[in-house]
Amino acid sequence: MANQETQLLDEIVTTSRRKMLSFGLSSLAGMVAMEAAPSAAAANAYTDADILNFALNLEYLEANFYYLAAFGTTIDKPNNASMSAGAPAITLSGKVGTAGTVSGGSQVPFTTIPVASYAIETAVEEGKHVQLLLGALGSSAVAPPALNLGTSFQTLASAAKIPGGAAFSPYVNDQTFLVGAYVFEDVGVTAYHGAAPLLTSSANLSTAAGIMAVEAYHAGLIRTTINYIDPTGTGIGSYTNLISSLRATLSQAALLGATPGTYDTAPDDFGLATFSVTLGSGTNATATRLTDANATNVVAFARSTTQVLNIVTGGGAVTANAVVSPATGVFFPNGLNAGPNGFR
Amino acid sequence: METVNQLIRIAEKRGVSRRKFLAGVGATAGAAAAVNLAACAGPLPTQSSGSGTTTTTTYTDADILNFALNLEYLEAQFYLYAATGNGLATSDTTPGSSSGYSTVGSVTVGSAAVVPGLSTAQQQILNEIAYEEQAHVRFLRSALGAAAVPMPNIDLSFFGPLAVAANITTSATGSGAFNPFSSFDYFLVGSFIFEDVGVTAYSGAAPLISPAGVAAGYLAAAAGILAVEAYHAGYVRTSLTGRAVSAGSAANYPYLYAANLVEDLRASLTVGNSADPSSPDSLETYLTIPGNLTTPSSIVAASPSSAVGFARTVNQVLHIVYGSPTVGVSKGGFFPAGMNSIFSVTTA
Repeated sequence: MANQETQLLDEIVTTSRRKMLSFGLSSLAGMVAMEAAPSAAAANAYTDADILNFALNLEYLEANFYYLAAFGTTIDKPNNASMSAGAPAITLSGKVGTAGTVSGGSQVPFTTIPVASYAIETAVEEGKHVQLLLGALGSSAVAPPALNLGTSFQTLASAAKIPGGAAFSPYVNDQTFLVGAYVFEDVGVTAYHGAAPLLTSSANLSTAAGIMAVEAYHAGLIRTTINYIDPTGTGIGSYTNLISSLRATLSQAALLGATPGTYDTAPDDFGLATFSVTLGSGTNATATRLTDANATNVVAFARSTTQVLNIVTGGGAVTANAVVSPATGVFFPNGLNAGPNGFR
Repeated sequence: METVNQLIRIAEKRGVSRRKFLAGVGATAGAAAAVNLAACAGPLPTQSSGSGTTTTTTYTDADILNFALNLEYLEAQFYLYAATGNGLATSDTTPGSSSGYSTVGSVTVGSAAVVPGLSTAQQQILNEIAYEEQAHVRFLRSALGAAAVPMPNIDLSFFGPLAVAANITTSATGSGAFNPFSSFDYFLVGSFIFEDVGVTAYSGAAPLISPAGVAAGYLAAAAGILAVEAYHAGYVRTSLTGRAVSAGSAANYPYLYAANLVEDLRASLTVGNSADPSSPDSLETYLTIPGNLTTPSSIVAASPSSAVGFARTVNQVLHIVYGSPTVGVSKGGFFPAGMNSIFSVTTA
């Protein structure tokens, strides 16, 4: 990351970035959520490595969740299940920050082939994302932060007002697993989307766009499967609305201090509840919401790092009137790992 | 049913060579389009014109968005016909005053019609995708303003010849022809033709956007549409996989194999990377039918080593939607009069 070429690019782009961040609305005014601004504390000083490290924290989280659910182990401790599925055994080579451990989580006793096979596929792919980012970042890579993949789900489920949320565990059966996975995937999309325009190297941008596509495939997969299981939205389908609503609330709370008009002030997250659309020359119809996107222009949402931090820490990134750094809570009890100018 | 039986036979004899190109279908060589220089222009990698001479041209951010708009016109028409039996409103297809094009194209409807026999949930999914692709047309037209190109001629009857080229069927027309508007499963195969391509097209185009375009929000917009295309692709691939698992066997659900045959065809048309989908170098990922609780599925189309989604160049996308691996082709396939784009002629 920190070779001469990217350093040079950093210098060149810092100016345009600053301009971009102060632009507010430009030629696409009011039509698309603009590039997400970085958290105030880190403005202007960050590099591509800081952005990729932010992504790496999220990939550690996702990969460990899926490894535990699919194989009953963490990403660094291969077992028969993970090896026979072709999941990479990750060498925890990242050293920046404080290495933590993973608490909670267990193998889900899957009973249906589609859900079990999706869990395994997703675990393998998220593992490869961790491996890829570790390789790309080299000695700049952050260590895995402490992760809570047990009681954190109960905290979030309670906050989302999911029935029985105080006892919710994603590791009980196929359906609870899908709800747990739902918590992550759309957030991954918005995080990569928000980060992509901040990257300076076009190679990094291509990689980020490619990973974002995979996160969106996963999100589509999860939402489609929930819709197949509960097409009328009376069971786990209704939980998606509660979770999305909580995410939107946490995301909006983190707009604090952001350049006015830079991104969505309306809710930026939707569950599977149907909505009304007009097709072609005026046919009114009811549509599912397998895609989590702005309902008018159908461009996926982008979130700033602060918005993402506030979601994955369950509101730990902002107080009533200030950004909190480091943000801690829920999945990240000690916060994320980051370099001096990184995002925490 | 005849087509289903053909699909089953194909499924049974998979592995047989199926390199059958659409070379020259409805195609004539054409010269590279005139190029409009503007702000935000960047150099285009060397392009070969139809006569074989090499020229270098430039493109603007508007050219990139207009290329995407052509693809969105195609997708929107396909899904709108499948969901409602009608296409885009005329007002969503007209030329911008400075687009360089003055004529609105027409749609060759063929057998395009409301897909019969849908459950309420399935109909709502079709409505959603139709709405979302329509919204992309409107969004890109809005972003482009006067530079927005009109809808080109679109041929929705091309599914028939495409399925023959992919060895899915032997009849390009008539009762034995592949018809994505005939059932939900056929619709899934039809939409499969587009969705992974949409993802790779936006992935390939996003890094081409100029710094000024990044500042203007074009990159964020392209990335956001890319994500939506990937949601759609995830939906289509999940549905094909899930229905195949429910059916219990490949013979009971030939549609998944039909989708893989589409991948073979796309790979064969993708000049610059024609690697077979079973190869690690391919830009395609075969769908699979997991047979037990410990086998991964194959929903995501991505690099097998890094799990990063694929990207295609505009030229590679053009070869696919024109249905031709031939260099110098200016029209064909889904675009019988070519795209309304400076990227309208296939190159090496």
